[in-house]
Amino acid sequence: MSYRLADNVQVRKESWGLLFYQPARHKMCFVRSGDWLYPPHFDGTWTLESIIGDISRRTGTPAEIIERSLPKLASHLTSNRMISHEVR
Amino acid sequence: MKYADWPLSAPVNITWEITHRCNLRCVHCLSGSSVASESELNFNECRGIVDQLAELKVFEINFGGGEPLLKDYFLPLLRYIHQKGIVTCISTNGTVLTDEAIACFTDNPLVNVQVSLDGATPEVNDAIRGRGTFRCIIGGIERLAGKNIPLSINTVVTSLNYMQLKQLKELAAAYGANLRVSRFRPSGRARASWEALRLNSLQLRELADWLNSEPGVLTGDSFFSISQDGRRQLGLDMCGACKMTACIDPIGNVYPCAFMQDTPFCGGNLREKMTRHSRPHAALRVNSSGNPGEGFKDIWENAAAFKYFRQLEPEACHSCSRFDKCRGGCPSVAYFVSQDLNSADPECLVNWSREVSACSPPLSF
Repeated sequence: MSYRLADNVQVRKESWGLLFYQPARHKMCFVRSGDWLYPPHFDGTWTLESIIGDISRRTGTPAEIIERSLPKLASHLTSNRMISHEVR
Repeated sequence: MKYADWPLSAPVNITWEITHRCNLRCVHCLSGSSVASESELNFNECRGIVDQLAELKVFEINFGGGEPLLKDYFLPLLRYIHQKGIVTCISTNGTVLTDEAIACFTDNPLVNVQVSLDGATPEVNDAIRGRGTFRCIIGGIERLAGKNIPLSINTVVTSLNYMQLKQLKELAAAYGANLRVSRFRPSGRARASWEALRLNSLQLRELADWLNSEPGVLTGDSFFSISQDGRRQLGLDMCGACKMTACIDPIGNVYPCAFMQDTPFCGGNLREKMTRHSRPHAALRVNSSGNPGEGFKDIWENAAAFKYFRQLEPEACHSCSRFDKCRGGCPSVAYFVSQDLNSADPECLVNWSREVSACSPPLSF
């Protein structure tokens, strides 16, 4: 399963994490992910497993810790219509 | 800590007053527009600014003025912005739409259009926007409707039109548009009409009650300070100037917001920055570091006025029970009414409730 930005949603990196913007609803979503996540993680080419591996490799955070929080975050972004799931 | 306090590397959106030229002379015009300013930015300079904003990943540019469609290079500039993937909102008076403009807007996912209309009848609208304008504006709305263009009708709420908001909502719906209301604020030509057109406390209460019951009606920023909590939570709940937004004027000056275009609040001038840093024969948009984003970025990060606004907490509001909720309301209303940024927004809910409660049961908030 991979993640992709929902239609017309934009995202950019900030010092504290990611800022998502849905212009049609003028809705923002602040994600305090620090340097864990980057906008390319939501281009549809990254699976959950590969994102976890990438974060673990870059930050030295144990994969189990990332596995505990990332699905919750993805669920939050999905429910806010910022990203969509793609089953590959 | 509110989300709006989280530091952003760039604005979420920019208000860009592309020209001061306008064919109308609305009595409440925030910029006092009439004729073009001397030395307004040229097309290449505007493209350079767009490059900067794209580099910084600004999500949205809201065009106003003046009437943006009177700027000769406006549509080419719009197309250039869309090539960069930036969303645009065009605020127009609806009277000078061309076939080319409508074609540019139609089926374009990066375009939103706001048409200004200040009354549901010619008598009310024309008293604000000028004789005969109601008919012309409705004609413009009719040309835009049904073309898959996200459309809203924008009304600045004044003592003349607040009783027509329900009719305006219905009128908008008839054209497949949303009604968006803006606060009347005393900048530009509105300074002269402020006392005559501002809402009194009872009218503010009626407006707040109505908005509370109409979540589908869109509000411009700074309604958070005059609205009850149910409504306040629908949008940005504190002033976004220098935190989420900024304003560029027709000659490249950058201000905290469109309503704070006074010399003391100018963060810098983009033309000067581009000229100062460009090498001979180099493209205007590239500064000495070779980074096209530096001119605007420097203002956003370092301008004294912007730093001041980010930490502004009006002294008059510190003891207010709602201070943590609104952080002091709209600074532009406070400033232009009292010339003091440490004053409270005179139209904030606490202020109008205090006056209303003298003659009716107190409102809970």
